[in-house]
Amino acid sequence: MDIKPMLMNVFLVFVHWSIVLLFSPLFIGVIAKVKAIFAGKAGPPVFQPYFDLAKLFRKHSVYSRTTTWVFRGAPIVSFAAVLVLSLVIPLGMFKAPVQFPGDLLLAVYILSLARFFMISAAMDTGLSLEGMGASREAFFSCLSELALFMNFITLALLAHNISLSRMIGADIPMSWRTFGPALLLVVASFFIVLLAENCRIPVDDPDTHLELTMVHEVMILEHSGVDLAYMLYAAAAKLFIFAGILVPIIIPVHTGHPVTESILFLGGTLGLAILVGIVESSMARLRLNRVRNLLLFSFALAFFGFVVTKWRG
Amino acid sequence: MVPWIDASCILIVFFSLTILATYRISGMIQVFAVQSFVLGLMPFFLHADALAGRDVLIALGTILLKAALVPYILFWAIRHVSMRSEVKPLIGFGTSIICGALLIAGAFWVSLSLKLPGKPGSDLIFPCFLATVLLGFLIMVTRTRAVTQVLGYLVMENGIFLFAVSLFDAMPILIEMGILLDIFVAVFIMAIVVNHINEEFERSPVSVSRSKMGET
Repeated sequence: MDIKPMLMNVFLVFVHWSIVLLFSPLFIGVIAKVKAIFAGKAGPPVFQPYFDLAKLFRKHSVYSRTTTWVFRGAPIVSFAAVLVLSLVIPLGMFKAPVQFPGDLLLAVYILSLARFFMISAAMDTGLSLEGMGASREAFFSCLSELALFMNFITLALLAHNISLSRMIGADIPMSWRTFGPALLLVVASFFIVLLAENCRIPVDDPDTHLELTMVHEVMILEHSGVDLAYMLYAAAAKLFIFAGILVPIIIPVHTGHPVTESILFLGGTLGLAILVGIVESSMARLRLNRVRNLLLFSFALAFFGFVVTKWRG
Repeated sequence: MVPWIDASCILIVFFSLTILATYRISGMIQVFAVQSFVLGLMPFFLHADALAGRDVLIALGTILLKAALVPYILFWAIRHVSMRSEVKPLIGFGTSIICGALLIAGAFWVSLSLKLPGKPGSDLIFPCFLATVLLGFLIMVTRTRAVTQVLGYLVMENGIFLFAVSLFDAMPILIEMGILLDIFVAVFIMAIVVNHINEEFERSPVSVSRSKMGET
């Protein structure tokens, strides 16, 4: 077997990972900066998440005596799962290193795997608050998965393909002119899913540390040091990957020029980060029992998009 | 201009769905105002190639009346009646949203088999008209307060207006204006009636005896 294409593939995988790892903390930093500006504060520098992660990576982890290997394994699994997930998502000029028909199912199930381990680790600590957070996470993700799948089905119908790279990638001439109405709904619905899956404000406040109301934060409450760093890095990378799915749908420009496409992708991601920051500054967190309705609303939008797509043929 | 017509149609149904999913009456009124504004822009999109005076007239009339005056009266009504601002639905919000999604699907399915005479601006207009009317109807029957029922009626009327505006050439401007005036008068009367009911019941012995029984 020829060794050269294999080496090339390995190289592409590492390029993909380095993009995700390099830019994802910046995404979080931009959101924090926008929120600070809206609140009339100077706020931490945009690169603060990098410093936080570097600090955590230098620390040791502390483990409770009641925890088992599940607790220790969860950070690694969620971090690895996000890295594997990033391989099926095209990022700007770089096509997805792994693509096959039906890889959207792989993407959703890898997300579920990471979530399963997070929930198990939260239950493993035996802390009742973590159990509450885990139950909420499980409940919300059930509903957001519904909307996520509906969006993917609509995109697959539009692109006549069930591979993520062909649905959202640069390969198909998906333009707003022909598919505009359905895409409008998909974008709105996917944006809600993005906020819900990544525990941003209308669903969960990432800044709060009130045990009774938080969802994601309470699940990583017992993790410390390196483990916490992996968890935070995984969360940031997940947000970046979701943005990586949404941005090519909003800006379906295929210039074929690598530099332009990279600038467009990164600019779009930056814009999305600013948008998330604006949403977080202008909204309050929803009451817990209303999150369900928000996710159902997102599903209804996705379903509407699906209906319009079928109608248009 | 077809993409703009499509986008407006989708937005109008989207706003109807949002009204269905809103908790606060003031929020519902605001979304309704935005929906009416989008509706008011429709004549420009539909007749972009040959903009006539009556297009501008209808657009301005709609925006002025439905996006400004009617919301203003509704806000006046809820302020004067000092009712609780939460919407009390007969069926839950989750169920309402699912029902709304099903109604939208039903509207599209029904309009598959309907062939319209004449040539509307876009094939999305008819299903979106049907969906908006059905969603307005759903709002009307599942929300218990007078103001929310009127809002459902207004959403329904917005749907009909969407259809009417696409059949513009076949309809005299006088009828359009008459309909707009009807809406205005209906909302006006509703506000006055709600206000009067509130005044009556504040003085009535029923509320006194209730508060004595500790029910408030």
